[in-house]
Amino acid sequence: MIELPRSNHQPAPAIKFVGLGGAGANVLDRLILDGLDPDSAIAMNTDVQALNGSVTRMKIHLGQNTTRGLGTGGDPDLGHAAAEEAAEEISAALAGGDMVFVCAGLGGGTGGGAAPLIAHLARKAGAFTVVFATLPFAFEGRRRTSQAAEALAQIETQADLVVCFENDRMGEALASAGGIQQAFIAADQTLSQGIRAVAAIVQRPGLLALGLDDLSALLKKRNTRCLFGYGESDGPNRAHEALDRALRSPLMDRGRMLAGAQDVLIHITGGPDLTLNEATILMEEFNRHVSDHTRIHFGFATDPHLARRICVAILSAEEAPAPVAKKLPQAARHVETPAPAAEPTAKPQAELFSAPLEQEPSGQAGAPDEDDPGDSYYNSPPPSTAPPMPEHKAVPKYAPQPATAKKEERAEQMPLEPASRGRFEKSEPTIVDGEDLDVPTFLRKNTRVK
Amino acid sequence: MGKDRIVVGLEIGTSKVCAVVGELKGDGSVQILGVGEAPSRGVRKGEIVDMENCGKCIREAIAEGEDKSDVMIKNVYLGVTGAHIASFNNRGSYTLPEDREKIEEEDVARVEDAARTAPIPARNMSVNTILQHFYVDGQDGVVTPVGMFGRTIEADHHIVHGVSNRIQNSFQCLKDLDLEIEDFVFTPYAAAQAVLTQSQKSTGVLMIDIGGGTTGYCVYAGGAVKQSGCIGVGGDHITNDLSLGLRIPMGKAEQIKIREGSCTLGNSLPGETVTLKDEHGFAGKEIEREMLNTIIHMRVRETLELMKRDLEKENYLDYLGGGIVLTGGTSELRGIKHLTEDVFGMPVQLCKARNVSGVTSAFENPRYSTAIGLVKYAQATTGSEGGGGWRWLKDFFK
Ligand SMILES: Nc1ncnc2c1ncn2[C@@H]1O[C@H](COP(=O)(O)OP(=O)(O)OP(=O)(O)O)[C@@H](O)[C@H]1O
Ligand SMILES: [Mg+2]
Repeated sequence: MIELPRSNHQPAPAIKFVGLGGAGANVLDRLILDGLDPDSAIAMNTDVQALNGSVTRMKIHLGQNTTRGLGTGGDPDLGHAAAEEAAEEISAALAGGDMVFVCAGLGGGTGGGAAPLIAHLARKAGAFTVVFATLPFAFEGRRRTSQAAEALAQIETQADLVVCFENDRMGEALASAGGIQQAFIAADQTLSQGIRAVAAIVQRPGLLALGLDDLSALLKKRNTRCLFGYGESDGPNRAHEALDRALRSPLMDRGRMLAGAQDVLIHITGGPDLTLNEATILMEEFNRHVSDHTRIHFGFATDPHLARRICVAILSAEEAPAPVAKKLPQAARHVETPAPAAEPTAKPQAELFSAPLEQEPSGQAGAPDEDDPGDSYYNSPPPSTAPPMPEHKAVPKYAPQPATAKKEERAEQMPLEPASRGRFEKSEPTIVDGEDLDVPTFLRKNTRVK
Repeated sequence: MGKDRIVVGLEIGTSKVCAVVGELKGDGSVQILGVGEAPSRGVRKGEIVDMENCGKCIREAIAEGEDKSDVMIKNVYLGVTGAHIASFNNRGSYTLPEDREKIEEEDVARVEDAARTAPIPARNMSVNTILQHFYVDGQDGVVTPVGMFGRTIEADHHIVHGVSNRIQNSFQCLKDLDLEIEDFVFTPYAAAQAVLTQSQKSTGVLMIDIGGGTTGYCVYAGGAVKQSGCIGVGGDHITNDLSLGLRIPMGKAEQIKIREGSCTLGNSLPGETVTLKDEHGFAGKEIEREMLNTIIHMRVRETLELMKRDLEKENYLDYLGGGIVLTGGTSELRGIKHLTEDVFGMPVQLCKARNVSGVTSAFENPRYSTAIGLVKYAQATTGSEGGGGWRWLKDFFK
């Protein structure tokens, strides 16, 4: 048992979470179902039907006149114009947040077109702005890939931090084994875990505090791709297992991705019985995966909710060699970066997550219980976005089993999982405008903001 | 004409091979004598990918057709399709010799030749060249120029062409089975002959044949074919989407699509499910109805929108007084009429082959439109000496 005094109770910064477009709203919904306070979440979309389907309470319809509720059909110019039309409403909604987290799929017209503007408005409102962006899967077509690269470059000029995930990499391992459906789920899951981890880091400094400057050291560089891993365990060998699972997350490549990293952040959370010895063993093991030159940003927090569980989150970033690169070489080189310009002012705030990564018991925001209306809603995904993803309901809110183990289990249950193109696997693809029409429409539209 | 003649329409579809044996009556009507059918193997998106297996299916369908009709099948009218097939309109012109002003048959043949010899890509062959109109000295809407006075005659043709190698796969398949091809026809054009009335063709109509692996279309305006094409997406894609999305085998997905599926959204109660039965009829997996319908809706809507975009490249959509006619197996999908109306903003009818006698109720189904249409095509072209196809065939097999 480690008996350390609680770090001085600095009030957590207020974060507003924006889910932009279909993909962004999807992740936001997921976060809410995982315990994010719905009042801190704002969904923004051009597609009215999709917007109505989101479980967020606050919704902003972009482009009432520009797109008339119909989505952008993948056109970022329309997405931008639509956001412009709603600029006042957006600014009003973002006012009062110390930080704004924007989550968007950059392959979509709304996500890619509106994200730079939203980031701009968020900063104008005085918030430290972090954009969580996903780059589309390659199978979504070249047009989306290049649109996304353009959007990313614009966002980097607007946001304080950009956490950029590559769908291709998050889903790669699973796309071949478990089909495209699994790939999307893996990508969604990684992204939402990443957002939770970052929120926890900035909100719950914990015993060994990590802060924005640590994050900035990782992410402040231009055109980086986020490497993120998350693992949990409550088994007899839990420290080792949790780390191992984190390293086996899709973006970690069993830790190989960390070999050349200049900065790596690792955040360990455990229940009251987490011993210093365990943490030390874990860190020693972790050290073997990084080079001597790597600067490790280490955070540590306890949370009685976790009981016997240990959670490990690892975050790093590497440079993308070209604007739109699919495969990246091993190493990432980082240069020391100055601390972020705008440190958010701290302000008391209700806890956002009752998530494993958090430190305190405070009963304010418990895990939503079984008959949470949000949950039942999620079970019947609304038409056209929040595309049918049966797994979402299968993922327990605070899974007692580690997420990675869960995934493997599923893969075992479905050994004959049809691959992405299913029955058309062997036939000549039907490609129209760079899109493979053999891939189910609902999957291709998943990240498309429609 | 005048003499009864027996012809066979053969569609090698993505989901079934179908041979319709029909008798062309002297009075211009068609009587179906028998239909042979076998589930397809080795056909993807309307094209043969496995000649051996597909050959077996064709043999089966032909044998059944022979059985049912008591006719020995030697020749067939073959339907061809695939996303590689393209079309365009072409005008040819011919000026009469100085010493003549009255148009004769040979002049008409010349101008038709001129219109037919339109430039198509080197690897392609012509599938159908369909006469649209004649013009005599610029005067349009001429149906029979022979006997008229004029200096130049022009002819518009709708030219359908596709990649030779691919089309010849099916020729080879039939050759291996000792079946002779009397003519071959782009399937949407064939289906149109079965489901459209003359008045629809004149007022303007879009016919869509949604099959298993392809969605074909054919636009008529002013009595002539103006546009036609094929998208390599059909009902099997819906099934595949369901199989992947709901994580159920293809067979189950097909079953649930037909029994429970619909393109209409928002019609189910929140949380309403359908139960997938296992092989023994016991309740198995529960499937959210709205999810089922969403997957279907998205695929069908996308397919229709893709087609609409193709059609918008020319502006005949504004001339479809007769609206839209849907046929093919997937036209039986619930809600497809309304979805199509929604996408195109015009009235839609579901149709199966009309004006044929002898079809038993079992064959009154939109999936037979193409094969029956091939027989109707034969009826319409009998008497005219060999279509364009004939000549091409001779070139290929000599
Ligand atoms: N009641 C129904 N509801 C929905 N779909 C149906 C129904 N009946 C048949 N289908 C679908 O129709 C398709 C087969 O149609 P059809 O027989 O016209 O295709 P085909 O001619 O074999 O294929 P193609 O012309 O594309 O090569 C299959 O995908 C089947 O699932
Ligand atoms: Mg067909």
